[in-house]
Amino acid sequence: MWLRRLSTDRIERRSSVPGDAPLIVVEPVKGALRIAALNDAAAALGLTPGLSLADARARYAALQVAQAEPEADRALLAAVADWCDRYTPLVGVDAPDGLLLDITGCAHLFGGERAMARDMMLRLARQGLQARIGIAGTVGCASAVARYSRGGIVPSGGETAALAPLPPLALRIEPEIARLLAQTGLRCIADLTTRPRAPLAARYGQWLLRRLDQALGVEEESTAPRLPVPPYVAERRFPDPIGREDDVLGTVAQLAEELCLVMERRGEGARHIQTALFRADGKVYRIEAGAGQPLRDPQRIRRLFLERFAVVGDACDPGFGYDMIRLSTLVAERMEPVQSGLGAADAQAELAHLIDRLGARFGRQRVARLVMRDTHIPEHAVAMMPAHQAPPSPSWNDEQDSLAPIRPARMFATPERIDGVINEVPDGAPVRFTWRNASYHVAIAEGPERISPEWWRGESNPRPRDYFRIEVEEGFRAWIFRQDAVCRIKQIEDDGTERDILEPRTSWFLHGLMA
Amino acid sequence: MTAGKPATLRRLRQEVARIEGVPTALETGDRVRPLGVAAIDAVLQGGLMPAALHEIAPQRMPDLGAACGFAAAMVALFAARPEPGRREVLWVQTDFAALESGRPYGPGYDLFGLPTRRLLLLSVPRPVDLLWAMEEALRSRALAAVIGELPQDGAIADLTATRRLTLAAREGDSLGLLLRHQPSPLTSSAETRWQVAAAPSRPDRFGGLGRTAFALSLTKNRRGPTGRWRVAWDHHECAFSTLSLGVVAAAVDRPDRTPLVRAG
Repeated sequence: MWLRRLSTDRIERRSSVPGDAPLIVVEPVKGALRIAALNDAAAALGLTPGLSLADARARYAALQVAQAEPEADRALLAAVADWCDRYTPLVGVDAPDGLLLDITGCAHLFGGERAMARDMMLRLARQGLQARIGIAGTVGCASAVARYSRGGIVPSGGETAALAPLPPLALRIEPEIARLLAQTGLRCIADLTTRPRAPLAARYGQWLLRRLDQALGVEEESTAPRLPVPPYVAERRFPDPIGREDDVLGTVAQLAEELCLVMERRGEGARHIQTALFRADGKVYRIEAGAGQPLRDPQRIRRLFLERFAVVGDACDPGFGYDMIRLSTLVAERMEPVQSGLGAADAQAELAHLIDRLGARFGRQRVARLVMRDTHIPEHAVAMMPAHQAPPSPSWNDEQDSLAPIRPARMFATPERIDGVINEVPDGAPVRFTWRNASYHVAIAEGPERISPEWWRGESNPRPRDYFRIEVEEGFRAWIFRQDAVCRIKQIEDDGTERDILEPRTSWFLHGLMA
Repeated sequence: MTAGKPATLRRLRQEVARIEGVPTALETGDRVRPLGVAAIDAVLQGGLMPAALHEIAPQRMPDLGAACGFAAAMVALFAARPEPGRREVLWVQTDFAALESGRPYGPGYDLFGLPTRRLLLLSVPRPVDLLWAMEEALRSRALAAVIGELPQDGAIADLTATRRLTLAAREGDSLGLLLRHQPSPLTSSAETRWQVAAAPSRPDRFGGLGRTAFALSLTKNRRGPTGRWRVAWDHHECAFSTLSLGVVAAAVDRPDRTPLVRAG
């Protein structure tokens, strides 16, 4: 499918400029503004891409001119590709202004190739996009027919005849090679097919022949679909677009039932599900939800999307409604049938579902399990892993016979500095300190427990910490540490000479609250 | 004073309980979980109600560690006899609460009797999300307990919100703990309300830190009087014990500078 006037259509869709006013899109090429795209009206005036803006203006003063926006063109092309998902799951982008649809086995769903092409053109025209569609047995041939002839359907085996009158450029080769071919008088593809191959390859490279073979179907060529093809899909089309959230969710539930039935037959469950909402005017919203364990329960799938809609619902503007909803399983996994109603297994399934729901609502990273890691740096000893992928972790099992726990119950993300520390002996525990503007007397202290930085991991702050467990007179307990640092201070002597003095500095931090 | 008065009173109480939908001690039977301290269990008519909401708040900010410890101890008592499959504990925290006063630190709970492998952490952006998550989790019948932690006095958890949580806890038959960072003046439909402060512990025989001691004050109890107690938690045995008054005297008697212990 070739979107002939992608850039100008994009601009005309947005503005109220009448379609019959000549419009050109210019971009800077080698220091001059040249025409990159133009609409039919401008083409009718005899303007061509590549002409400089000054020349064009000199010929016709009443031109509408717009700057080229390749990004916006790409986005529009992607949006159209999304929309084309309704015809086939295999949609590839043929940059800058074409799409490749693999409609093998899909066309009959729309009443045959001709009806499908007409439907596509009609719907795109309604969206303000002019498309030319070529249908053929090979990618190269379809592309050539769409771009360089009037489009249409090439019957199977008719590729050679269809391509014969077209210029060699239609083979998707470098313009430079096409120019060289034209210089030698090879002006259409028929000239190439009738000529011996060896001299052609010697003069113009293998690429030309490869493209020719691909177009003729001698060599296989596959399209690269933009999106992975989901293993399970269920969809529903509406003659009258729907927009209410309840209706959408109801449809999702019905689709989920269909989907689950098929998955059950194959003994699989969904790990990753997507709802695609096709808005009547061509916009497509995709909402995804993940499951920690393979899922095959329509009600649970519905609940997952209920949570997702609660979060992203505002971003999906139903506009004039959705005319198609598709539910697809993106990732499926083997799922063993489980006997339900046996207590423990049910609670486990319920838990997995709860984790999925919370993840769908708040983001899957936010539901975490604590996983112990093999390090003795306290803040790195525990990692938060998303619950749906965290392995079961062993407990922190440091045998100790202290009556009080030796690690805090809560830990601050960054240790908080404590001031006014007075200690009895230079390396000893503090006797008084001030934290968050309140001063405390230490009643009991235990320590120091020295924790050295892990130099083999390249710690950025290689200073050992001396940890103390303290209990203040009021009773609350904290885990504090001392870190010594050496500061280099510049001192200027009386006679003007500078001298570096190394001065030890001790800082105290409160790292956590102990229970 | 007529002889029938206690009987009448009991009948009326049961009637009120029936209207309010609160299960009586009779109905709940042995499902109440004793805390193991006779004085407290007597006031609670046997122990803590499962399938209900309980509120915990530290008396002052530094007591937050103690409040968390008390919450963990409660959950540890409940998780000691889990229903099949329901072992996990969900700890929900708002982002602000985590920023202001840290996150639960796994090893600390491991040592305290609440194994880390059973702990699920959820951080939510807003307090209202916390209420939603708690309700959902309580209702799910998948967890042993749900702890929700709100910054400051958790003004969002008002009477309506706590009522919803209570209903969810009853429906899902799970224990809900609401941990506020400050005691709240708001009315609440929680079964009990505790203010927790850290109490000076009795030092061990080497003069080091003793068992974690709590100064508990029960400020609301739907099924009996309130009270104040000092208890200690033995995390090796997973059990509370009374901190006798003598200990307090001993703490006063000790030298103003306890000799420092080098244990590390």
